[in-house]
Amino acid sequence: MASLTAQQRQELIDELPRLKRFCLSLTSDPADADDLLQITVERLLEKGMPEDAHVAKWSHRVCRNLWIDEIRSRDVRSRYAQSESAVEGAGTTAANTDESVQLDRVSAAMERLPPEQRAALVQVAVEGCSYAEAAALLEVPIGTIMSRVARARKALAEDLEWSAEREA
Amino acid sequence: MSDDRQNVVDMAGTRVDDDHLLSMYVDNELDAERTIALISRLRSEPALRARLEVMEANDKRVKQLFAQSDNQVPEHLVPLVTAENVAVLGMTRRWQRWASVAVAASFATAMALVVDLSQTDVFNPMSMDPQLASALEQSPSRATGWDALDDERQFRSVLTFPAADGRWCREFLLSQGESHWRGVACRVGGEWVNQVVGSEIFLEQETQYRPAGAGDSEQVARFIDETATDVALGPQQEATLIGSGW
Repeated sequence: MASLTAQQRQELIDELPRLKRFCLSLTSDPADADDLLQITVERLLEKGMPEDAHVAKWSHRVCRNLWIDEIRSRDVRSRYAQSESAVEGAGTTAANTDESVQLDRVSAAMERLPPEQRAALVQVAVEGCSYAEAAALLEVPIGTIMSRVARARKALAEDLEWSAEREA
Repeated sequence: MSDDRQNVVDMAGTRVDDDHLLSMYVDNELDAERTIALISRLRSEPALRARLEVMEANDKRVKQLFAQSDNQVPEHLVPLVTAENVAVLGMTRRWQRWASVAVAASFATAMALVVDLSQTDVFNPMSMDPQLASALEQSPSRATGWDALDDERQFRSVLTFPAADGRWCREFLLSQGESHWRGVACRVGGEWVNQVVGSEIFLEQETQYRPAGAGDSEQVARFIDETATDVALGPQQEATLIGSGW
């Protein structure tokens, strides 16, 4: 059975926080993100990777493929509906501070983004990747990253503006 | 505002609007010439400046969102990656298959890595003894806790399931000092007979971690996959079965 080298294991450990955020950017649900991360690590340990593989790129690719192959095959629509209503409910409690309300709105708006836009935005805005780095990681052209990030920001701004106006 | 001012041409020759331009500016992806041009516009166009501020504020909140504590890596994953010479038992997929059984849900968090018993330096507890048989006969499945056996051994039944051939089988954990095993025993002719046992690295409630020797095998998982029907017993069904003497 293929196995990871000691160096690959260490690099994977170092990569886990970022990989977790990537999972969250794909799934937009903490529980699903934990599942996806678990499955990704299991797959990497089971199958290993080439000795010359770039651990970050390889692990992100495995993660994304697993998301496509396995997670998306679940009946996520009902779970999405539940999590969405839960977020909306949380946003109306009087105990929330303005900032936490804003975070709730951002969370809900992020959920409504197309997954590919969300993933691109997280790589660039959260992870601090250049467009070239994000493009290499997500395996799309640089121009696609530029477009997805811009559209994500635009959609986020409009969504949040609409949410604020609705609640005002 | 002219169309020329609303749109610019990027390096690939594609026309991009102000949102793309601002986004590239935020990400420091504009070349010097376009950066200077945009800064000039930002000084004279309050609406454009306001849009930039909204983008930057939203970026900051997105970062905060992903920095929240519940977005951290589960603690048990680091020792899982660190452990060498082990095979992973596809625990998440198994958890999904046994999800209707409460004990199986907790089994997922206490789950393990199994190594091959064929290695000569690992004690093979395949032989059934009266105490282990008694525990298999009477102890209910549970997510936590242990039954004390002799020789400082500890036992926990994990779940009970019917094999495809009609036998009742139980997956169990056995520990003795620093050694841990996961096994499956089935009831054959009124006696409990071990079917497969693997020494393992045991992750107890995601915090305790115990190393095992070299070698790898998925024999326990494979045995269950090949033997079990799809439904494990719930606690009440299991209690009834134990009470009836199997």
